[in-house]
Amino acid sequence: MGRIWPFHGGVHPPENKQQSNQPAIVTMRVPKQLVLPLNQHIGAPAKCLLEVGTKVLKGQLIASAQGFVSANIHAPSSGTITAIEERTLPHPSALVGPCIVIDTDGQEQWIDHAGIDPLSVDKGELLQCIRSAGITGMGGAGFPSAVKLQAKTQINMLIINAAECEPYITADDRLIREYSEQIIAGIQIIRQLLNQPACIIGIEDNKAEAIAILSQALTGIDGIEVAVIPTKYPSGGEKQLIQILTGQQVPHGGIPADLGLVCHNVGTAKAIADAVLLGQPLISRVTTVTGKAAAKAGNYQVLIGTQVSDLMAFAEVDLASTSRLVMGGPMMGFTLTDHQVSVVKSTNCILASSALELAPVADHHACIRCGQCEVVCPAELLPQQLFWFAKAEEFDKAQSHNLADCIECGACAWVCPSQIPLVQYYRFAKGRVKTLHAETQLAEHARLRFETREQRLIDDKLAKEEKRKARAVAAAAAQAAKRAANPDAEDPIAAALARVNQQKQAPATSVTAEPPEDAYKALKTAAAITRTKLKKSSKALSDALASGHDQVESLQTTVDQLTLKANAAQAALSAYETKLGLDPEHEKQLQVAAAKAGVVVRKLEKSLAIAEDAATIEAQIVTAKTAHATANQALEAYQHKSTALQQQTQES
Amino acid sequence: MALLNLSSPHHHSLNRTSRLMMWVLLATVPGLLAQSYWFGYGTLINLIWACALAVSFEALVLWLRKRPIKPFISDGSALVTAFLLALALPPFSPWWLTFVAVLFAIVFAKHLYGGLGNNPFNPAMVGYALCLIAFPVSMTQWAGTESTLNLAQQWQWFWTETMSGGIDGYTQATPLDLMRHPKGLTLDELAATNPLLGLGLTASAWINAAYLVGGLGLLALRIFTWHAPVAMLASLGLCSGLFHMGEPDLYPSASQHLFSGATMLAAFFIVTDPVTSATSRKGKLIFGASVGLLVFIIRSYGAYPDAFAFAILLMNLAAPLIDTYTQPKAYGHQGNKDNER
Repeated sequence: MGRIWPFHGGVHPPENKQQSNQPAIVTMRVPKQLVLPLNQHIGAPAKCLLEVGTKVLKGQLIASAQGFVSANIHAPSSGTITAIEERTLPHPSALVGPCIVIDTDGQEQWIDHAGIDPLSVDKGELLQCIRSAGITGMGGAGFPSAVKLQAKTQINMLIINAAECEPYITADDRLIREYSEQIIAGIQIIRQLLNQPACIIGIEDNKAEAIAILSQALTGIDGIEVAVIPTKYPSGGEKQLIQILTGQQVPHGGIPADLGLVCHNVGTAKAIADAVLLGQPLISRVTTVTGKAAAKAGNYQVLIGTQVSDLMAFAEVDLASTSRLVMGGPMMGFTLTDHQVSVVKSTNCILASSALELAPVADHHACIRCGQCEVVCPAELLPQQLFWFAKAEEFDKAQSHNLADCIECGACAWVCPSQIPLVQYYRFAKGRVKTLHAETQLAEHARLRFETREQRLIDDKLAKEEKRKARAVAAAAAQAAKRAANPDAEDPIAAALARVNQQKQAPATSVTAEPPEDAYKALKTAAAITRTKLKKSSKALSDALASGHDQVESLQTTVDQLTLKANAAQAALSAYETKLGLDPEHEKQLQVAAAKAGVVVRKLEKSLAIAEDAATIEAQIVTAKTAHATANQALEAYQHKSTALQQQTQES
Repeated sequence: MALLNLSSPHHHSLNRTSRLMMWVLLATVPGLLAQSYWFGYGTLINLIWACALAVSFEALVLWLRKRPIKPFISDGSALVTAFLLALALPPFSPWWLTFVAVLFAIVFAKHLYGGLGNNPFNPAMVGYALCLIAFPVSMTQWAGTESTLNLAQQWQWFWTETMSGGIDGYTQATPLDLMRHPKGLTLDELAATNPLLGLGLTASAWINAAYLVGGLGLLALRIFTWHAPVAMLASLGLCSGLFHMGEPDLYPSASQHLFSGATMLAAFFIVTDPVTSATSRKGKLIFGASVGLLVFIIRSYGAYPDAFAFAILLMNLAAPLIDTYTQPKAYGHQGNKDNER
């Protein structure tokens, strides 16, 4: 037998195993209803494959693993799926979650299944067989076993955990006594998958009978040895067992495989043997029912999904005298307040204790830093300091005191003379650290986003500024080039500025300074503009009327106003013309006459170019030119007269 | 029956604070008896008086602080403080001296800082140090070993501080005090000229041995770990041994240091006070060793004959700092240097 190393701390709570380790394992009758949570393991929940109303056979796959770290779920007995709904889960906080409910038919009708010879198949097939059987760690954590069997590193040692250090629990003890051959077969399959590493079965020295049976069964088998370790809680903790058997510590943040080790529970080994050799998926397990309230304390082969209430009834648990119902052991288990929850793949114990057996702690006293918790802490922490930090919510200090390495074994709280619920403080602190970490990450993300945005805005601004500057330079260059080409040209900006200044200096005289023609023109323009506006508005109005638009009224008002304006403008223009003595009609006639004469001249000139009788045409041209000149003279005279008149009116 | 909903662990050891305190009180009994044998009834009268005062003050302050009185009184911590004060104060202490010491210990040093578990300083040592500074004469009236007062005389002195024929006939300087003022004599000459020294040394050796027995009992019961007392005694023994080897005429030997004054009382009943000392194993070693060193320095060069109150109060101040730098390596951190801060 190999050397046994010590580990720091540990406690010796009363074992209380004899109540349940005497009777042989009893197979519990098939309950009327099975409730199978879709998430019984560590990792992603399985996905239900069947619909309500489907008939299922014992061992039939009903929910499939989702992803690498997940596990299949099979029907533990034949029957009908009657519901897929949220039910209370076996969880410390009594969470609810999706469950498949099967009403059993009592037939126990198996689906077709057959085992394989592990030696005749390759590793992939063997692994697939274990994976599809939905096997998870049976010791309590429920980690999918196939994942651990697919180690990426070289495994030098397989550790089989049969320590069962928690008081009261005897499921592994009985399992070894009754199924040692299956367990060894399972171990051999695991060894085959891991390239035949040496195997040590770690078992506490309080299980003499199991040790004897196991040693007997191992005679003549090489590579597997039994290591009997001193009874001390929590020697069955994975990290502690590794230290006991190898003297090594799993590095912080690492896994046993980093040391070339893999650890499996003894129950898992048996489940693997059943899956490979018999083709039976994981649909039942051995669960201890014990405590003073249980009349038939012992171990039961229970179908997964059996309600705790059914199991308690079968084990004749007196509900009236049960004060604390614990799933798991007294050190790390959690209380159930509702017994309508399922036995799942990792349920190793139901502890129905009377009020005296696990008496509730009265009031806890102040911490006197006695340090007894430090003495017993298997993680070598300073529990008393962690307690003060958790209480004061100094989570950074708690973290620097390795809060994360606490395995929540409860040794500190068990020994505490002030009866402080230390583990609860650590769970609280861990939860807060997790939340704070998530919050910090969110805040960091938000900060990064904000800073990136700010930087982008600044960059955009700079780029714009650059572009603007480039444009300004280009424009200046163009201006300079233009000036160089035409040096006499007046600077347009300067000229504009000068005009503006002029206007500013003499705003009152600007109108009078306007030439008379301009005033006349302005009037004309104003009249024309108002006319155009009126036309537009009128058109809009008619359109609106046609389409029944709701703005007709306002348009009508606009048209009316514009009509008034146009009339006024026209009146102003006419008045101005009358005042000047001008007659637009006469001017137009003169213009027409002049134009006509011009046309005649041009026509004749054209004719001349092609005509032979030049003399005649020349004479005609002369006459026409004269007529044109006369018409022009008349027009000029008229225009001159009108200008003079305007000037007179202005002056007067 | 409604099912309880409680956090794990669901089982609990029978370990209780009151049990720890009771064992500490029991462990002082050999020392108490030895002290009474050599110095008379003074210590016993003091003890009863101090216990009554401590419980009364504790109850009073708990009431003022609106805390439940019974659970806190029953933890026994006030009695431990009372015992330690009664054992440390001179047997000729008058009633008011004990009154002041206990008042200051329980009300000021303990409850004004938040009660049991929250006090940075050892309450008994605070009370003791206060009296030592405020009433040096009363604090050095140590009973003589030759003739002890009878119960009636002791009782009279306790309440009235009057004594037919004066108290001087009954008091005597402690061996440590004598050795601190050798009046130009070597220690050997002092012992030869002053027979009281030898007798005093014998008495305090017996008393210290009695405390050692009690302390070893507590150690066997694992009420505390060995680290702090062993470190303290080792450091005091080492320092005094080295100096005695260098100048035997000036410095008392290691055994005289270890078995005189309050050495053993301090080592097993005061240095081990968990509330005010360092908390990790390494921290306790440093804490204990530093107390031993300070005791030697103060005994050899200080103005006071014994040094425990000051040495311990000084180290109480340093305890949080020691804790910060002596955090043990957790499981899985062995290869990780960052963890050691």
